[in-house]
Amino acid sequence: MSAIEVSGLRKRYGDLEAVRGVSFEVAPGEVFCLLGPNGAGKTTTTEILEGYRTRSDGEVRVLGLDPAGGARELRERVGIVLQSCGVQDDLTVGELIEMYGRYHRRRRSGGELIELVGLDAKSDTRAGRLSGGQRRRLDLALALVGDPDLVFLDEPTTGFDPQARRHAWATIRALCGLGKTIFLTTHFMDEAQTLADRVAVMRAGEIIALGPPAELGGRDARPAEIRFELPAATSLDELPDVPALERTIDRGRVLIRTAEAVAATARITAWALEHDVDLAQFSVTQPTLEDVYLELTGGDASAAGDASAAADTDGAGEVEADR
Amino acid sequence: MSGSSPSGVRRDIALAAWQAIYEQRAFWRNRARAFFAFLMPIMFLVIFASIFGNQTISTRSGLPYNDFFVPGILAYGVIATTFFNIAVSTAILRDKGVLKRMQGTPLPHWAYLAGRVASAAVTTLAMTVLVLVIARIGYNVHLRGATLAGFFVALVLGSACFTALGIGIVGFIRNADAAPAVLNFAILPLTFISGVWFTTDNQPSWLRHIAEVFPVHALADGLQYAFNPSTTGSGIRGSDALTLAIWLAVGVALMVRFMRQPLGED
Repeated sequence: MSAIEVSGLRKRYGDLEAVRGVSFEVAPGEVFCLLGPNGAGKTTTTEILEGYRTRSDGEVRVLGLDPAGGARELRERVGIVLQSCGVQDDLTVGELIEMYGRYHRRRRSGGELIELVGLDAKSDTRAGRLSGGQRRRLDLALALVGDPDLVFLDEPTTGFDPQARRHAWATIRALCGLGKTIFLTTHFMDEAQTLADRVAVMRAGEIIALGPPAELGGRDARPAEIRFELPAATSLDELPDVPALERTIDRGRVLIRTAEAVAATARITAWALEHDVDLAQFSVTQPTLEDVYLELTGGDASAAGDASAAADTDGAGEVEADR
Repeated sequence: MSGSSPSGVRRDIALAAWQAIYEQRAFWRNRARAFFAFLMPIMFLVIFASIFGNQTISTRSGLPYNDFFVPGILAYGVIATTFFNIAVSTAILRDKGVLKRMQGTPLPHWAYLAGRVASAAVTTLAMTVLVLVIARIGYNVHLRGATLAGFFVALVLGSACFTALGIGIVGFIRNADAAPAVLNFAILPLTFISGVWFTTDNQPSWLRHIAEVFPVHALADGLQYAFNPSTTGSGIRGSDALTLAIWLAVGVALMVRFMRQPLGED
């Protein structure tokens, strides 16, 4: 049985259709990532799965149950990290973990959890006195307190410094190691790339691409790009003939797009060594997930976000409202 | 479902009790809140009772001022520990997303609510005991055994009424910053025309009639009636009990309305 099954999901707010017929499945133990600009319908979709919002149409099953029913059994088995959700600030980290733990029939040891998220030193600190990053780690600990089978992580590392982000990633990977299913939403390509088994890209309420990060949007089949600087004395015509879809030079910077990156690289580097030509900043790259993403979501991620910001039901609008 | 079996219900009641303990812990740790909800009524008691303690009220056949004022400030204290306390903290919890987080846990909504209400009841009880002890020792104001029943009816009904109203009014408070202003606007003028601080005997009758519609007057008058040494019978004024019961029903309706408001939708 799939951990999450969604088919034909729709959500209307008055005249606006925020989610327009979305379908996907998440397998048990999978890390599934929902990616998309603000206003694409990520948060709406996620909150329908979490049971916070009702759907207008379509079928949704989370661990075999309908989240709209608000079944307690589901809340026992699902952990949720919301984007910006406070806690009882006057209680300490240790007390909060104990308190939220009591709500669950099955629970993880508090000490183990505090260690997992790296808050050991803060156990007796009141939640109100934690830093932003520590708060997010507490959020994660509270989501895991019932030893859930499925964890929703809504932009879990927004506002983290790079080191804290790496730490969070390691924690999330540790969860995968325990066989948990993880449903992740994020703005960050590197996060999706690092963590996700599969990525769904949403735009304007629809899923426009779905697949493993390496294959998304046919990324693996796309031409590679070879770049280097050619010394001023050398002209483009002197280069050996390589299978290329495109060959351009701009102020000494050569760009070769090719479907046969290995062969092309071998010939060019062999030629350069033979003729003792220095090819500065030589590089071979596949299109990044970000390139593919920007292409899919309409080139300019921020513009796509602005267009639907007025009727926003997603990330940025809520963050604004919180201030 | 597991929640409907007897053992499930017992477990949920235990969870509500635990919740009350956590809420109490959080309440007393927040000094500003504990001051406004708990210490301020005590402070007013000491100030007013010390200033006017020797006076009597001529319009009430020489009733000592403190026999009138102690139940009045007790009414104010009940409103502070229930209505103000619950409304402000609930608005903050809602704005910070704590209510939304709680909704995602397996704790049943009613158990969470029961825990918060029980915690407020404990605070109210502690405040009541403290007021009665200070009044007795410091100002020689006695609660009589004969009117004890009336006293408890007014106290319990009033506490329930203002607890329900305190939760229900949050549905009309847009954000927590506005909460104290809204609540003071709703209550403070009423305390002046409802005989909390001084008698309303010299007020124009239309003002008294307005006050009599609202639960602030019913609670203050109900407690004052029970405290008045010349009251005979069990100390219950029927009109006060009725007014509080009606407002309790209004409060429960508003509370249900607030709790049905979705937290996820914009």
